[in-house]
Amino acid sequence: MATITQSTKFGSAFWTVLAWVIALIFFFPIFWMIFTSFKTDADAVKPEFLFKFTPTLENYLNMTENYDYWRFAINSVITSTFATLLALVVGIPAAYAMAFDPSRHTKDILMWMLSTKMLPAAAVLYPMTFLTKNFLGVFDTHFLIIIVLCLINLPIVIWMLFTYFKEIPKEIIEAGKMDGVTTWGEIKDILIPLAWGGVASTALLTFIFCWNEAYWTVRLTTTEAATLSKLIEGNRAPEGLFFGRLSAVSTAAVGPIIVLGWFCQKQLVRGLTFGAVK
Amino acid sequence: MSKRSLPRLLQTPAVIMLLLWMLVPLSMTLYFSFIRYVLNSTRRPEWTTPALSNWRGFGNYEYVLFNAKDFWFAVQNSLFIVGSILVLTVVLGLALAMLVNRSFPGRGIVRVLLISPFFVMPAVNAVLWINMILDPVLGLNGIAVDGLNNIIAGLKDFPVIGSFFAMWPDIVPMSFRATQTSAYAVIIMVTWQWTPFAVLIFMTSLQSEDESQKEAAILDGANAWSRFRNLTVPHLGRPIAIVVMIQSIFHLSLYAEIEIVSRGNGNKNLPYLIGEFSSNNIGAASAAGIFAVIVANIVALFLLRMVGKNMMD
Repeated sequence: MATITQSTKFGSAFWTVLAWVIALIFFFPIFWMIFTSFKTDADAVKPEFLFKFTPTLENYLNMTENYDYWRFAINSVITSTFATLLALVVGIPAAYAMAFDPSRHTKDILMWMLSTKMLPAAAVLYPMTFLTKNFLGVFDTHFLIIIVLCLINLPIVIWMLFTYFKEIPKEIIEAGKMDGVTTWGEIKDILIPLAWGGVASTALLTFIFCWNEAYWTVRLTTTEAATLSKLIEGNRAPEGLFFGRLSAVSTAAVGPIIVLGWFCQKQLVRGLTFGAVK
Repeated sequence: MSKRSLPRLLQTPAVIMLLLWMLVPLSMTLYFSFIRYVLNSTRRPEWTTPALSNWRGFGNYEYVLFNAKDFWFAVQNSLFIVGSILVLTVVLGLALAMLVNRSFPGRGIVRVLLISPFFVMPAVNAVLWINMILDPVLGLNGIAVDGLNNIIAGLKDFPVIGSFFAMWPDIVPMSFRATQTSAYAVIIMVTWQWTPFAVLIFMTSLQSEDESQKEAAILDGANAWSRFRNLTVPHLGRPIAIVVMIQSIFHLSLYAEIEIVSRGNGNKNLPYLIGEFSSNNIGAASAAGIFAVIVANIVALFLLRMVGKNMMD
């Protein structure tokens, strides 16, 4: 055994360094975006200022002027927040029923819900535009984006909540029933406090997915309800003139979400694999 | 109220919402795929509004399959993009998961750095890569190649080795907006974004591996390679399948990246082609949409079966 420990000592240091190097490479594009956001537009494209430059905050200070950033950011906050809340309001009772009072069809219903998540959005692009524009008149409204974001995330929300609720012993809920607690009371006073961590991480992850969504938010909005995805997509080809300001607005758009993401990386596995990987 | 009806009532809103969301637009797509429906048809104004009298049978499907010039290209390109991403993310993901799945100094920070790309919104991902990194003139790509050329030019002045380097031509940086290469740009940026996802899944799975089995194998004198081959690989079969299927579903509908890199120029995939049809020929867009649904369903069927097996325990 002694030889094994000795030969792995050097090996272990090597693998540690390699892990660090690769992690830094993966993070580099994000670092580069943040780094460039502190350069002026002129400096950002000059190789001689690649690493040596005078940092400036002007890109951040002029974000409103250059891009009308806050209008898009507020739209993102409104739509993502309300879509998440709506998904929880609809999802918690459904997941509660499925976890504690399953019927013969519960499994099929859950599977069917997941299957709606797998429909390609592009297939219904025109009907959605047609319905919302000509028929319902809700095109480019916060209302529409909230509903759509809620619907595309609802299967994942119900699924995640279902797996969290199932971890709670059934007896606790049954005991509540014996004491004559109403269903609403059970959810509010027993279930949610017990599954608080699960509910919170579901909400967090849903918020992130809503924030990053880039198909419907781009195709179903023009100005009123346009989110940050739409803003960035609209500035897709700055031809190098605006690397500084573009980096600043991009950093502002993704920074908070990356930090939120760090807190729920564990839940990501549950949320995206539907419990198939444990 | 009976004891049974309450739970059913509680899931009703969710079921109805999802049912409407799934059925209404999809049945419209199905309907449009069987009629002539062309938004800007000046020649036949009756085709500009949907009506049963414009029935075309399988004509739109025929048109999409045999006459639309980009359909097969789009299918092929979709498969090329998705396939490349899958191979890259699974290989990189496995390697990185093994690398990170040990205790070493700063492991927590390494993980945080590694997972970060997954939370970058797709639009920012695409704009960042195509402009600031891959651009052949102003991006890091161009700057790095320029630097390399300068070094080589400097070496040409040296005696002896100079004559060797004098034979080297200037390296030209690759442009990722060109017709042939824009798919590579999409593959690079999506691989960057989704490798962290694969790493997370594989890491979760590695942690549930039976350690006592591994220790027994060590005592039996099995070397690292045979432990990996006979214990770890079979254990990872399932998560690999999951990573492949989930990513297939997401990447078959890639859109923002394609749009931002080249506006689909030379690099269309199926969703992009549907988007193009949707500005005029709705019949064709709908028929192509139905094809996309069929492809997605084939993958989804396998995925759901796996999920279902694991579900109730």
